[in-house]
Amino acid sequence: MSNPAALRDPPQRSDTPAPDLLVQLQDLTTNLQTALDRFRLDSRLTRLAEKEVPDARERLQHVLKLTEQAAHRTLDLVEQSCPPADRTAKEAAALGEPWSRFRAGTITVSDYCDLITRVDKFLLVSRTDSDTVRANLNEVLLAQDYQDLTGQIIRGVMTLVSEVEVVLVDLARLAGTTGGNHGPTAEELARGTGPVVPGVEQGAAVVNGQVDIDALLSDLGI
Amino acid sequence: MSKDMKFLVVDDYSTMRRIVKNLLHDLGYANVAEADDGKTALPLLENGSFDFLITDWNMPGMPGLDLLKAVRSNDRLKKLPVLMLTAEAKREQIVEAAQAGVSGYVIKPFTAVTLKEKIDKILGAQAA
Repeated sequence: MSNPAALRDPPQRSDTPAPDLLVQLQDLTTNLQTALDRFRLDSRLTRLAEKEVPDARERLQHVLKLTEQAAHRTLDLVEQSCPPADRTAKEAAALGEPWSRFRAGTITVSDYCDLITRVDKFLLVSRTDSDTVRANLNEVLLAQDYQDLTGQIIRGVMTLVSEVEVVLVDLARLAGTTGGNHGPTAEELARGTGPVVPGVEQGAAVVNGQVDIDALLSDLGI
Repeated sequence: MSKDMKFLVVDDYSTMRRIVKNLLHDLGYANVAEADDGKTALPLLENGSFDFLITDWNMPGMPGLDLLKAVRSNDRLKKLPVLMLTAEAKREQIVEAAQAGVSGYVIKPFTAVTLKEKIDKILGAQAA
């Protein structure tokens, strides 16, 4: 049954939100405005996206190239140094027996003459070979100069990464998506996640060296 | 074990392939071929007559784990000794490799002695 009094005087609907809600809305608007202003005023964001991140990629590509060149150069020098080093070691070992006979006074005259000739040759050849190895070692030393150049480039990229991190954290906070599990997914593990880096949380149990791996494989029957 | 054995070394870094090749030569194994990814390695394995596979894990085209699985599911290749030589060090990865049928697992950085030991162990087990 209708209530005529209620129909004549319906309760007045308030057009003004409750005070608490007003304060919350104001806070939200202010925060949003601050964040947007920050992004607008911060032309760094555009510069980061259009110039500095693509540049960083090129710089790291250059680092890869420099380190690869240095590694190959060093390997070249090692390969060039092995034959003369082996030659010296081999001939020195071969001279050991006749030399011992000479020292013991049991060497024949013809073997003695042969020994003298071989020692003369050995002294010359081993000196040349040692000079070659020494020169190659100096080149190996110089080939390590990449570390200075790549170090500077990497440091620059690290600075950039820090800036990008700040921007992403702000974005994540705005979107309300901070927190959560950051460990590798099963798919990432199957593809491979790269070497363990000291100080970087891996998000999954890591074995501690070859001994641990051998023990684990042994438990698995391998 | 015959020193004529044919090895395939798979790694996307040319320097690592070179290091392993040199170490194998030092061990007396002169017959060593290379591939820079699982994708390029698989056809070489299918068409060649390799006796031993040494592979990295983290490679852009076909990771080493997938190469291992492809080898083990190929009738002609399934008994091929496969040694993983990799920086991947998470426990569950090693378990997964073991379950996929890996013959040995060497973690980077590694020593020449370790490489020799693991190759000898795999070949010894194969002969037995």
